[in-house]
Amino acid sequence: MSPGIDLQASFIELLEGFGLTHGVAKAIWIPLPMLIIVGAVTVLALVSTWLERKVSAAAQQRIGPEYMGPFGLLVPVADVVKLLFKENISPVNTDPLLFAVAPLLVFIPIFLSFLIVPFGQNLVITDLNIGVFLWISLSSIAPIGLLMAGYSSNNKYSLLGGLRAAAQSISYEIPLALSVLAVVMMSNSLSTIEIVQQQADYGILSWNVWRQPIGFIIFWIAALAECERMPFDLPEAEEELVAGYQTEYSAVKFMLFYAGSYANLVLSALLVAVLYLGGWEFPIPVSLIAGWLGISESTPWLQVLTGSLGIVMTLFKAYLLLFVAILLRWTVPRVRIDQLLDLGWKFLLPVSLVNLLLTAGLKLAFPVAFGG
Amino acid sequence: MPESTFGLRRYSENKIVNLADGVQLVSFLVLAAMMIGAAIGVVLLSNIVYSAFLLALVFISMSGMYILLNAGFVAAAQILIYVGAVNVLILFGIMLVNKRQDFVPLKNAWISQVATAGVCLGLFALLSTMVLATPWAISSLTPIGDEAIIEIGKHFFSDYLLPFELASILLLMALIGAIVLARRDYLPDEILGRDRPSEQPSALTLPERPRELISGGK
Amino acid sequence: MLKFLKQVSDYTKEAVQAAKYIGQGLSVTFDHMHRRPVTVQYPYEKLIPSERFRGRIHFEFDKCISCEVCVRVCPINLPVVDWEFNKETKKKKLNHYSIDFGVCIFCGNCVEYCPTNCLSMTEEYELATYDRHELNYDNVALGRLPYSVIHSDPMVQPIREFAYLPKGVLSGHDLPAGSRRAGKLPEDILAEMEASEAKK
Repeated sequence: MSPGIDLQASFIELLEGFGLTHGVAKAIWIPLPMLIIVGAVTVLALVSTWLERKVSAAAQQRIGPEYMGPFGLLVPVADVVKLLFKENISPVNTDPLLFAVAPLLVFIPIFLSFLIVPFGQNLVITDLNIGVFLWISLSSIAPIGLLMAGYSSNNKYSLLGGLRAAAQSISYEIPLALSVLAVVMMSNSLSTIEIVQQQADYGILSWNVWRQPIGFIIFWIAALAECERMPFDLPEAEEELVAGYQTEYSAVKFMLFYAGSYANLVLSALLVAVLYLGGWEFPIPVSLIAGWLGISESTPWLQVLTGSLGIVMTLFKAYLLLFVAILLRWTVPRVRIDQLLDLGWKFLLPVSLVNLLLTAGLKLAFPVAFGG
Repeated sequence: MPESTFGLRRYSENKIVNLADGVQLVSFLVLAAMMIGAAIGVVLLSNIVYSAFLLALVFISMSGMYILLNAGFVAAAQILIYVGAVNVLILFGIMLVNKRQDFVPLKNAWISQVATAGVCLGLFALLSTMVLATPWAISSLTPIGDEAIIEIGKHFFSDYLLPFELASILLLMALIGAIVLARRDYLPDEILGRDRPSEQPSALTLPERPRELISGGK
Repeated sequence: MLKFLKQVSDYTKEAVQAAKYIGQGLSVTFDHMHRRPVTVQYPYEKLIPSERFRGRIHFEFDKCISCEVCVRVCPINLPVVDWEFNKETKKKKLNHYSIDFGVCIFCGNCVEYCPTNCLSMTEEYELATYDRHELNYDNVALGRLPYSVIHSDPMVQPIREFAYLPKGVLSGHDLPAGSRRAGKLPEDILAEMEASEAKK
């Protein structure tokens, strides 16, 4: 396995070439990936709102946004501008402090979770040892924000929506964590980088989705529920609860919820890609192709190519999943709250436990195929 | 020109050397202030919802402390369990039974207040003597850091096996208890009294509708 | 034990079936994705109203004999007919006539019963105003030529409705010039009818 390009080292070397010390160069480097990722995530979330509009339109035989920029690509920009300039309303008798803090509590953990999403061998902000566990624990903060939003809005729809959201994300966190655990068991590590590397050997054949088909489906269902996507969008069910916990929100605070929900969707899709679909790996290992063509793996242009291919592959897989999520939105009707909890506790939880047990058994029986 | 570069370099080097320590100190102070402030808020605020939210803040700052101690896994677990589960459960409880009513002042309330104050002061005194008496020698062992997960796993299955298994049995009991409570379908007293006067209510079972033992989802 | 096993297998079957149905639904949704959009880009493209479209009502002042049949057949007695009796000619003389299209339900009864055909339906449907009182059309407004999708505005691309497309064509966009709608035109049917009548 080639280490690939080390952006940090080359960037620091470059700065040192300009006469800066190692320390200064490093200090300049530290905030860079974070800023890039924050910007990239915002763009990704905006793109997914555009995709949602376009795919929804196509599924309903409409055209969708067309006049704002080419193919309506500027619609998300218009959204952001509009929401930024709207009046920041807070209704009578709300709790001003909690009302303002709640969107932040939902928004920040989601953006923090992008810390561990790898786009390539070295294209990750921190290769944390606790990796996916960080994501699971951070995503458990969101219900507090939702409850806060529901409570502080002084509106019964909001409160009901907040309570539903909290109940939903608590119940679906367990199957989610259990299916992640099965993957972690196979790769012997919580780190996202190692999880991808463990799927790298035989291209598409070694991706986790073949070894963990049940886990893949459970994870995807639970992730959709965590994101409050269509079959599980009870917290903001328009027909019953106006807009759930977001009812009273407007302008920037609403934008935080909105951007947060789409960023969360992108995050979930990226993590499905990382955990089950081989992350940044090309279906045929690049090193194999290079071997056929007789190119050395340390050739600089090949490394650059591999790096950019990695980003493209990760995003491609993530957006493919996003596309499926949008199709599901227009296919599946909303479940009732009792059906939701039934599915979570009586179906997903036992099945994911069985899946975990099965993985453990297979790991002991066939340590070669299931990561000994 | 060379002199100025030199000056810049020296200054920045000092800064970099101090950066890690300074950040650590500042974040410790901030976290400590946050934790103590939030904890005081939990106790003193009269609005119970605020108290519950501040409890979450206490837990989060505690996990920040764990991060400062290089214990990433424990920090994440702290957030997952205390903020994500315990505190949400508390909030849920509060919001589902949030009855706004004024407290009726009790007679002789001062007795309980004095008793509480006494217990708290005693506890505080005991703990502070303990804190002052302990030598607090800084351990020479290097922190495990990233290897912590493996170590924790090993401990769970060797010397901490009994508490670990006991905790799991406790959780299982709670789970089964919750299921039993949720599945029970009480019969109203009137119907019971009218229709089946002969049936003797036993001490351990509550009257309920007969049910199939296993009903695999609909 | 057997009963339990049966329940487990039933449960599995149901789960598989549910997955199958969701898959089928997804394929239906996916199939819709590569159908042509039915969108008509409204202010730039407009549908040509059909022959018997009931749009804004046209009124010819000179034909009206102030008989008030329109008022009587109207479900809510909407048309206002202001006339006075001219003693010299012993005829009613119409002064004003108005219909409030904010209240009208375009049922077409007045047009149906008008003895002198002074009322008629037009294909004008863009009645939106900023003030509902502007919808109260008097005899002058009622007598204006109706807006026509085909002739009025060169910027507007008229689009045929589904029933007026050639056989097998599903979209009114980019039709070849001179393409006829499916089936016989009304005038053809009329001509045939007359021909067969003449034979008899």
